[in-house]
Amino acid sequence: MTKISEMPAVGRHFMSNLELTVPTNDSWTDPVPANKRRVSIVSTAAVSRRGDKPFSWLAKDSRTFHKTERDLVMTHVAVEFDRSAWQQDLNTIIPLDRLEEMAADGEISSVAEEHYSFMGAADPVTMEKSARAAAAKMKQEGVNTVFLIPI
Amino acid sequence: MCGLAHYFESEGLSTILVGFVREHIEVIRPPRSLFLDFPMGRGMGKPNDPEFQKKVIRAAFKLLEASSGPIIDDFPEIIPVKEGRMGYALPPQLVLSVDDIGDVDIVLSEVRNEMEALRPDYAAAIAARGRTTVGASGLAIEELAPFVVSFLEGEIPKSPRKGMPAIPLLKLVVEDLEAYYTETRTHRDSIDDLELMGEWFWEKTKAGRLLLLLEAVSIASENKVMLQIVEMSLMAPRFWSDGPLPGTSAAGW
Repeated sequence: MTKISEMPAVGRHFMSNLELTVPTNDSWTDPVPANKRRVSIVSTAAVSRRGDKPFSWLAKDSRTFHKTERDLVMTHVAVEFDRSAWQQDLNTIIPLDRLEEMAADGEISSVAEEHYSFMGAADPVTMEKSARAAAAKMKQEGVNTVFLIPI
Repeated sequence: MCGLAHYFESEGLSTILVGFVREHIEVIRPPRSLFLDFPMGRGMGKPNDPEFQKKVIRAAFKLLEASSGPIIDDFPEIIPVKEGRMGYALPPQLVLSVDDIGDVDIVLSEVRNEMEALRPDYAAAIAARGRTTVGASGLAIEELAPFVVSFLEGEIPKSPRKGMPAIPLLKLVVEDLEAYYTETRTHRDSIDDLELMGEWFWEKTKAGRLLLLLEAVSIASENKVMLQIVEMSLMAPRFWSDGPLPGTSAAGW
């Protein structure tokens, strides 16, 4: 396992000194059975539709994209992660095609119409309002399961 | 990302999270997490490998069968990283100075020629994939190198993009430039190797050299944001380096 203590100096310092917000209570929602799962992806890759407003460096807001959208660009502030993978295949970070295949095979019920992207470099505490707004939209379209994928 | 899980879960939505830093997951305790021992930027593991990607998704969704949490599981397969770093890093000794700039017209001409030579393969990559990630800056491909070069003379140029200042735009231009190269090469040579791509672009190409010259200008700059870009490793990939860039503290974070 890649441990923080074994990371090179700059990254190790950053990862070990990151101020993490620890929840006061554990949250829990009972999942629905697999055949009733309607899934929306939440990515922190700061991707958006081409032409959308780019994310600011510590953005609190989110962007939405349709399940059929493939023309996405990334405006994430950080460069410490690999970008060559998603350049080759969007599914490496946002597996819309895989979820559609799983829905077709009956492994899940359906893929949500809308999916969401946030700026992973920002403190999640600052994103609470946007996250709850996204959750409200998800519930309006019958989503019950959220797949959270960092970059 | 872990913190977001709690917001969605408390809104009555069941969440599953995949993550790369186990120690952070353990502290923040999202309800259901799958730890991935992969390089960052590869949440589903491997591009163009649908079966591997589905294996990751199925392992993550399996956590929805747990009756209580928080629960953390480890994905059994590892995609190794080099020396504990989660992405490519420039060698610490590879640093240019403003004295290396020389004639900016020559610098620009060399990059333009290099980009032109790649253009047919870039077009082939787009045709094969049906998409490109180049374009976050909103500038045309032929505008990318000239915009970067305009910073080499020590002045901050006017932004050509309405509503976006020059320095944030510069960052997107740098990323577009790199994407133009790596999208081309990964397709042309059927390569999926983040270390090789980083090494090629940053250490071997004229465009990589241009960006290292830009880094040198940033270190010498009196503009706080330009300096912040290098202090925080927001442009050249030094986040996973063994030490801070000479002339900076790497303390921007």
